[in-house]
Amino acid sequence: MCEVALAMGFREYLARRTVYTLATVFAVITINFLIFRVMPGDPVSILVAENVIRPEMIQEVRRLYGLDLPLWEQYLLYLRNAVSGSFGFSFQYRRPVMEEILDRLPNTIALMGSATVLAIVIGILVGVVSAWKRGKRADITLLVGSLFFHSVPVYWLGILILMLFAYQLRLFPTAGTLSRPPPTEFIPLITDYLNHLVLPMLTITLVLYGTYALITRNTLIDILTQEYVTIARAKGLSKSEIMFRHAIRNAMLPLITTIAVSLGYIVGGAVMTETVFSWRGVGRMIFDSVTSRDYPMLQGAFFIISFSVILANYVADVLYGVIDPRVKY
Amino acid sequence: MLKRKGRFSAYLRRIRSFSSEFFSNRLGVFGFVVLVAFAAVVAVGPRIAPYNPLSLKSIGVGPPFAPPSWIRLIDPSVPESDTFGLLGTDEIGRDIFSQVVYGSRISLFVGFSAALISITVGTIVGLVAGYFGGILDQLLMRATDILLTIPTLPLMIVLAAILGSSIFNLVVVIGALGWQSTARIIRSQVLSLKESPFVESSRAIGSSDFRIIFRILLPNVAPLVYVNAALTVANVIFLEAGLSFLGLGDPNHISWGLMLFYANEYMAAMRGAWWYVVPPGLCILLVVMSFIFVGHALDDVLNPRLRRR
Repeated sequence: MCEVALAMGFREYLARRTVYTLATVFAVITINFLIFRVMPGDPVSILVAENVIRPEMIQEVRRLYGLDLPLWEQYLLYLRNAVSGSFGFSFQYRRPVMEEILDRLPNTIALMGSATVLAIVIGILVGVVSAWKRGKRADITLLVGSLFFHSVPVYWLGILILMLFAYQLRLFPTAGTLSRPPPTEFIPLITDYLNHLVLPMLTITLVLYGTYALITRNTLIDILTQEYVTIARAKGLSKSEIMFRHAIRNAMLPLITTIAVSLGYIVGGAVMTETVFSWRGVGRMIFDSVTSRDYPMLQGAFFIISFSVILANYVADVLYGVIDPRVKY
Repeated sequence: MLKRKGRFSAYLRRIRSFSSEFFSNRLGVFGFVVLVAFAAVVAVGPRIAPYNPLSLKSIGVGPPFAPPSWIRLIDPSVPESDTFGLLGTDEIGRDIFSQVVYGSRISLFVGFSAALISITVGTIVGLVAGYFGGILDQLLMRATDILLTIPTLPLMIVLAAILGSSIFNLVVVIGALGWQSTARIIRSQVLSLKESPFVESSRAIGSSDFRIIFRILLPNVAPLVYVNAALTVANVIFLEAGLSFLGLGDPNHISWGLMLFYANEYMAAMRGAWWYVVPPGLCILLVVMSFIFVGHALDDVLNPRLRRR
């Protein structure tokens, strides 16, 4: 009986999160649509201003983009295109926006994925040590270090790391994802790629770990002052038993949410880090699109990034509901 | 007369107890001192900067990419004519120290004005949603949630790129997209305050909604607003620098982020021009960290429930 009620609750929770997630995706598409229409001039006059098309082609392009239709029909058209992943044509790359993004996405995922995982591991370790030594000198040192990397501008750290490790010490390549020309055999190719990956990954890991360390520490300290921990201590459990059997398990839950929420910031970090290291990913592409005012590319990138972040949030919400039975459906 | 005097000394007492608590927080003191120092630089700006970095006359005052002149204390083999000033020069021989000084004005100006917009919008949304509840609350909070989920930096990049690079656009774009967390925090506080006896009694004597919101609820959430303001300023300065680094800064107003944009574009890393890279980034770091420290110190003093665990 009770289980049925719980299952119903979860199903309802899932449904609500799904509706909310779809609404958010919808909002992103709408924002994208509005950005272009509400701004002074229409997309075509921007194209002319950017020398992409000649003025005499205006009428033709207007018809092509459906700009002679009423606004609500344009919106429906845009919505249909967005859902099917069509975001128009890039000014600078002269190819469909989506193709360029899909080409670069694996590089960004490799960089961000490895850096995020590393940052989470380091962050949790530092946070646990910090909470363990609460108030002692080790805690203060780690805390200041975490705060330092939490507020350091990622691109600045990137330039410094590039200057030191690539140009001065010559330990790693200075730019790009692969050497030119790239090695032809498989194993050297992978090593070459990883060699290029190290510095940008290190940069992002450093700026990310601080956030995770601070959250782990604060959550653990919160938990360690709870009554059940006092009881565990009164039962005679040792400090490490309390930490690993009780505290860390409970601290994992808020961490999942924080990691999901921090994804948005991670993406921001990717734009800047990829810019510094000329990493051939979506982030560097955004920078190049800003420089050449490639609006279709920017909009496509904004949609893809938002979509990934929204999806990650959705997965985190669902996971949270599955893992934590106390969650309020 | 007497009453006034009493009130004055009560204020004095409160300020004294506030400052003794605030200044017992070492990191808070550090942040406060750093911010006062930066405020002084902003105030005297052009008087201590030897050159106006925006004037054409400042181009070529020294050789391009010249290291600072005190480098000769460490490495006397560098000829004096190859060095320049306190912090060296950039790619067209402009004085970097002057740029850092002038840049502080833009970075802090954008930081404060955008934060002012965010805090005002966030506080009003939080107050209105929390106080009125119902459909209005639902609508405002769903909008807030959606804006919290959408990664704001890419959105800011798109908006700033389309609107064009100007100080005004940066302030508007950053300010308009940075109010969500303030709104959430204020709202949850208002929800619990709304049920308190002094709001009930105020309503009973016929106060208008407007009066209850701004004369009763607002003063009670003020401590939260102050703490949030400090953290928002930190966040906004960080964002401004980031957008400027991506080339979205106003080219007619040098800022720390814009300096780093040029440093990166002109390969300062390849030339080993650390004097070009280190100062602006260090300034951003110091100011952002200081605001965070001050914010946490304020939180400790003003919201004492969470103190001393």
